[in-house]
Amino acid sequence: MTLANVFSKTIRDRWMGWAITAVSLTLFLLFGMSVYREIDLTIYTSLPEAFRSLVGIGDDIDVGGLAINVVFGTWGGLVVAAIALVMGASAIAGEERDGTMGILLSNPKSRTFVLLSKAGSLLMLVAVATVAVWATVHPIAAVLGVEIAGLDVEALSLHLFVNALFYGMLATAIGAMTGNRGMATGVTTAIMAVSFFAVGFLPLVEGGDGLLKFLPWYYFDGSDPATNGVAWGHIALLVSASVILLVASIIGFNRRDLKGQSVGTTMLDRVRGNPVLNRLIGRLAGSARVSSIWVKTMSDYQTLLLITSVVMFLMMGVMMGPMYASIPEETLTAFDQLPEQLIALFGGGDLSTPEGWYTFETFGFMAPVAVIVVTVVMGGGALAGEESRRTMSLLLACPISRNRIVIEKAVPMVLFAFAVGFATFAGVALGSLAAGLGMSVGNIAATAVLQSLIGLVFGSLALALSAATGRTSISIYGAIGAALFFHLFNSFGELNDGLADLGWLTPFSYYLGNEPLVNGMDWANAAVLAALSVVLIGLSFVLFERRDIRQQG
Amino acid sequence: MMSESGSEKSAIHTVGLTKYYGRHLGMEDVNLDVQKGEVFGFLGPNGAGKSTTIRTLLDEIRPTSGSATILGMDTHRDAVTIRRHIGYIPGDLALYPNLTGMDTLTFFGNMRGGVDWSYVDELADRLDSDLTRKVGDLSTGNRQKVGVIQAFMHRPDLLIMDEPTSGLDPLVQREFQKMVGEVSAEGRTVFLSSHTLSEVQRVADRVGIIRNGRLITVESVAELRSKATRQVEFVLDAEADVAAFEAVDGVRNVMVEGNHVEMSFGGDMGDLLTMATERYGIDDIKTSEADLEEIFLTYYHDGEEEMEVPG
Repeated sequence: MTLANVFSKTIRDRWMGWAITAVSLTLFLLFGMSVYREIDLTIYTSLPEAFRSLVGIGDDIDVGGLAINVVFGTWGGLVVAAIALVMGASAIAGEERDGTMGILLSNPKSRTFVLLSKAGSLLMLVAVATVAVWATVHPIAAVLGVEIAGLDVEALSLHLFVNALFYGMLATAIGAMTGNRGMATGVTTAIMAVSFFAVGFLPLVEGGDGLLKFLPWYYFDGSDPATNGVAWGHIALLVSASVILLVASIIGFNRRDLKGQSVGTTMLDRVRGNPVLNRLIGRLAGSARVSSIWVKTMSDYQTLLLITSVVMFLMMGVMMGPMYASIPEETLTAFDQLPEQLIALFGGGDLSTPEGWYTFETFGFMAPVAVIVVTVVMGGGALAGEESRRTMSLLLACPISRNRIVIEKAVPMVLFAFAVGFATFAGVALGSLAAGLGMSVGNIAATAVLQSLIGLVFGSLALALSAATGRTSISIYGAIGAALFFHLFNSFGELNDGLADLGWLTPFSYYLGNEPLVNGMDWANAAVLAALSVVLIGLSFVLFERRDIRQQG
Repeated sequence: MMSESGSEKSAIHTVGLTKYYGRHLGMEDVNLDVQKGEVFGFLGPNGAGKSTTIRTLLDEIRPTSGSATILGMDTHRDAVTIRRHIGYIPGDLALYPNLTGMDTLTFFGNMRGGVDWSYVDELADRLDSDLTRKVGDLSTGNRQKVGVIQAFMHRPDLLIMDEPTSGLDPLVQREFQKMVGEVSAEGRTVFLSSHTLSEVQRVADRVGIIRNGRLITVESVAELRSKATRQVEFVLDAEADVAAFEAVDGVRNVMVEGNHVEMSFGGDMGDLLTMATERYGIDDIKTSEADLEEIFLTYYHDGEEEMEVPG
């Protein structure tokens, strides 16, 4: 039944990820509302306009508004768009990468039909997930006794749905036109991340407002749909853009050659294509790449590391210094008067100081996200990836133990976690120097070390899940889900005394808990994070050693 | 029960090897004994339990009960030591698509502390394998060649190969069979699985037949061949005599149409040919592949006959 056609098969393959997303968002909403209900909201009334724009809080603030805007709006918007993006990138390019596109198209179905089926299933799943989350908002609010009558949740849901569809279609289009899933994911993520941050930042600087309309994310919540209702103009724009992308996908996909289960050609490959150079360089560079499992693993993930490190170094590091310097004096003065409790919410950063600014903009969110993405993808892919590609058989036919394979997969993850941390450190240090902010280099280094360690905790969790199950999706989604949960737990913990008592439970409290950018290294916190990682990696040995290797992906 | 010294002479020795996947049977009570220096064919239809047995031997999966030794060492406890001595091609081979053939062999070679590259070049030459191309760009057969080289390149004492010739063209298959013969001539052991009898009987000394997870029999190839029922057709220079053919041992279901005679045959081919050439001139002869299912039927048939035989 569920395999009746491309449409239903795609839904069957993908529904689980969406179901997890919808359930998680619902839980976050429940969590958020019950926490916001407990706190004294008068602290928000004194906030300067500029600050509210930065954190996405509307003018008339109340419990319901906060929960809806922050959890449903910001978090929900990002997560649903990200899942749509992943699904879109895999739609066409993923089937090509897996080598299944050939057999799919050998059936009497046109490429256009396949593409429309994929786009249809994307539309369907985004819609169902949006409706599922929306449907729980009112009951949750009613049960908790939170007033949300003045809020247009339906309008926000519509914006969220159309916004996610746009990023899904953008990724689909790039994948359909190039057949390169990595490029589709990378480019779309970059556009999404840059526009998300720019929408928050631009209102702070003189003349920045004028640039907003060039950013796709602005059309999601720039009009504050929860307060002002549906901005039909914005919706129409996103829908038209999605339709244009769909048409571009169809044209692009129909015109090009299908890719085999192949891989891109790199510069190195071209050089090695030349027989004379090949003999010279092949042994030199090529052999180095495959000299051992851990070197090969590093080589496999070098692109991911490169992109993440460049983003952290340039955007989140170097650029943030001059950006801070460009914020008008009055705004900074306003930040200075923020209530204590609110400051705590953003990792203890006081926005009137450069340390607070970097904590809020770089280390509070993007830095852990970047390092966790790298470690979780590597940890989850480490063992489960070899199993789902069925290459584990040959690895295990070599005279090396299973423990050795775990070690050789864990080492690159550790190295890369510190590489991302180093890129962040270098960027922030340079940004501070360039803008003359005078931050302590030692403290920046300490914060970056803690950043690498928090990444390792969740990477090691992914590795342990990968060792236990041999399934990439469980490992990656499981670890990302845990990271999201603990991050939210940590943020809300700052606001709620009851939760604050349980703060020691979340790994994130050992990351920025002691304001390392201000106070320097907290060795006890570092030790906790390192010990957690060691325990999880140790668990991976045991779990992998006793398990049957999976035969299929 | 085989004594400890007995199993040390064996290349592969299993005792009551059983694997259940949940409630689904993978293999049950498999007792194998492969001698050092022999080529052992492991024959069975798809899904019979060949790969389950092989993956257990490689310690990829662990038996529900029973045990196995390779070269006298326990397949689980001594897994790493064993792997120094074996070459392996998994069924449904998968390699890293972004590596060239040469990269792939370098990678696996490094994990064995290096290999003799002149031997690798020789193997690549013999199989006509282009090692400069990325594995992802290769056809199934050409990818399989990389897998074959990978298994042979360190001159292992024991080669375990799960359907190694799948995707290889007949010319390369023949070269592969020669390579297997050479390995055996050097006193090394080969264990290979297949679902076609003809392939196995060309290279193997003995054949184990597995079906529905159970090892049905282990026979020498000559014995098996004599039991294998195949369709035989002659075109003769005169009208065929049904009775003359039916008189030959192993002949059944004779059908005559003028000079054309067709029968099921499961006996000594020499006897049949001697009879035919003595009585007729033969214009053409055709025999079809012995069907695996028919061999299984023979065994079930034999079983029934044995039960019917009194005393």
